[in-house]
Amino acid sequence: MTRSRGHFRSNVLAVAYKEASILRHDKALIATVVMQPVMMLLLFGLALSNKPANVPWIVLDRSHSALSRRFIEEVQATGYFLPPRPVTGYDEGRTLLKKGDALAFLVFPEDFERAIERRRPRVQLLLDGSDPLSAARVGGYIGQVGAAFDTGRVARDEHEPDRPVDRAGLIDVRQRFRFNATLSDQKFFLAALAGMLLTNLCLSVTSGGLVAERESGTYEQMLSLPTTPLEIVLGKLLPYVAVSYAVFLFATVAAAVLFGVWPEGSWLTLLVLTLPFVLASLAIGVFVSTLAHTSAQAVFVTTFFIMPSFVLSGVMFPYQFMPDGVRQVGGLFPLRWYQIALRRVIERGAGLTEIAGPLLALAALFVLILLGIRWRMKPRLG
Amino acid sequence: MNWRRLRTLIQREARATLRDPFTVGVLVSVPLLALLLFGFVLSTEVKHLALGVHDAAGSRASRRLVAELGAKGTFDPRPYATRESLDRALVSGDVSVGLVIPPAFDRDLGRAGGQATPQIQVIYDGGEAVLAGNAEGFLRSLVAATAPDLSPRDEPAAPGTGVQVITRAPHNPRFDGKPFMVAGTFGFVLSFLTVLITAVSVVNEKITGTFEQLQVTPATSLEILLGKILPLGGVFAFDVVLMMIVAGLVLHVWPEGNVVFFVLVSSFYVLVSLAMGVIISATSTTAAEAVQKSVLLSIPLVQLSGFAFPIRNMPLPVRWVAEIFPATHYIRVSRAIYLRGEGPLGLSPELLLLVLFGALLMAYALRTIEARR
Repeated sequence: MTRSRGHFRSNVLAVAYKEASILRHDKALIATVVMQPVMMLLLFGLALSNKPANVPWIVLDRSHSALSRRFIEEVQATGYFLPPRPVTGYDEGRTLLKKGDALAFLVFPEDFERAIERRRPRVQLLLDGSDPLSAARVGGYIGQVGAAFDTGRVARDEHEPDRPVDRAGLIDVRQRFRFNATLSDQKFFLAALAGMLLTNLCLSVTSGGLVAERESGTYEQMLSLPTTPLEIVLGKLLPYVAVSYAVFLFATVAAAVLFGVWPEGSWLTLLVLTLPFVLASLAIGVFVSTLAHTSAQAVFVTTFFIMPSFVLSGVMFPYQFMPDGVRQVGGLFPLRWYQIALRRVIERGAGLTEIAGPLLALAALFVLILLGIRWRMKPRLG
Repeated sequence: MNWRRLRTLIQREARATLRDPFTVGVLVSVPLLALLLFGFVLSTEVKHLALGVHDAAGSRASRRLVAELGAKGTFDPRPYATRESLDRALVSGDVSVGLVIPPAFDRDLGRAGGQATPQIQVIYDGGEAVLAGNAEGFLRSLVAATAPDLSPRDEPAAPGTGVQVITRAPHNPRFDGKPFMVAGTFGFVLSFLTVLITAVSVVNEKITGTFEQLQVTPATSLEILLGKILPLGGVFAFDVVLMMIVAGLVLHVWPEGNVVFFVLVSSFYVLVSLAMGVIISATSTTAAEAVQKSVLLSIPLVQLSGFAFPIRNMPLPVRWVAEIFPATHYIRVSRAIYLRGEGPLGLSPELLLLVLFGALLMAYALRTIEARR
């Protein structure tokens, strides 16, 4: 028993050494391992955001009043909008909206100022709903400008200078965004960057690697040696665990140094959390390689896992919005639980107790995938 | 250019592609999977979002407010006895929004003259930035709608109480995200899958040596290139039609514009993408390298094309970069046809750019094939 265990360790290390030497000489792979994190870091750090900016909008001001001009200024002051484009007719505005030249079309009625005196001021806002995410946000911004608009100011100054402000019946909503005060998407995405990178890396590298060995016949050679399949798989995974941790550290440190997204929680928690995720993702890669016969097939089967991982896990689109059924399917992907936990630790400073749920889910998925691999490998290695 | 030779090459390629059941499976299933994934996933509607409530007022009015927030199924209110327990729930992610109603809520609500406006505190979990951004609008509008009913006195809103913004989205009143994503998914599939498939197929031919064999036949480089991309283009044109039908039947999204026009534009874009795949494979020596290059290329291609993130939200230099990708222009065209029913005239600048990209990429693809002679 002790002897076989000693062999086990040296066998695993031998396979790991062999795998690491191959890895070291694979220039295309090294380029991917280096290029991809840099590219994704720059994309999510500098370019990609759901937060509206440079929003083109048009205004039809039938009232030509000081109040309407101040309203436009206040919308402009939110900083999300380009300078408004004035139109003279309703149909002209509708046409521009339909052509996609403007996202929002704000209409002030002729009696805007009089309506304020009668205490029923209203403006009409037409949105280009084709991109609902942007449209909903833009509608929200203008609606908030409206809700906070102090109609009393001009009206009081110009008409009834001494009237006190009466706000009965309204509720003052004091709001604040915890953990991300400016609600920046950058922080949101960078916190989960490691999850995206590791999913890509772990899945594609292992699946391709195992199939390539089978294609070139070196896998059969290894089987004929006194190493067991388990030792081969573990030995092959070991170097990738190391590479994964390197990529993880790069992503987290670079996001912190370059973009100021320092983890609120402890680094130790992050390192502990990453292990079950990396193991589960690598195991999926191995599982994929048992399904595919050629490298090309492995690539496509891998995309079948990577694409839903990204879409359904919630790294890009909030999983809370997804319809029932779709949301639960997303729970089958390790990335779902990893991104939940990553964001909790990095953004909210959660400790191990607060991420116990996701950790357990990751461990459970790992075991599940291992069972799947055993089931797939048996006939082939028997 | 010899038509008979070209026809033979096309037949050969079509047979080679369709013979492999795995490739056929990929060609059918990946587009449909992408369509369903992206179609179902994007939604702005806030439903059953966990709302932690610390109601320090505990009055009829405050309970009414909470009940209204939960009534439409937008929020699921959960009571928290202390402010600290609510904070903990936010950290652990049990609730996404926290609502604190202070003890003075009722007193301020009932007070005439309005020296103190009744106040509530809302704490969003900014960690979920996208979610919080959307929940904010819903919560504010629900509170604003409920507020007048809470006041014990019946009187119209006073001046200084804001302007009511009546919002409508004429072309998409329910803010349905499906058409937007479906139209974009065409761009995603036709940019990503095409490059990947050609890259793998050409490299495989190079490895088995059949590509060299082709090059020593009397066929010209142009014939070889067209013989490679025309049949694959036909397959992807079939994919476009298939996706259109599935999007219509399953997601209930049909194009607003002319179907034939859409298929024609899409087929042309497929050829542009395929040319890109040929370039990648001609410069790679192994299938793995070609795949890695395609994946690397597809990251900025997909992310900067406006498929998931609007280009206008990006900083200016990045927006220039985005304009260089053909995918950007194709997605713009496909959304214009799908969502707004735009015709060839209104889209002529974008279409011209696509043709230009196509010509450039084809010319470059020809050169990469030629260089190997």
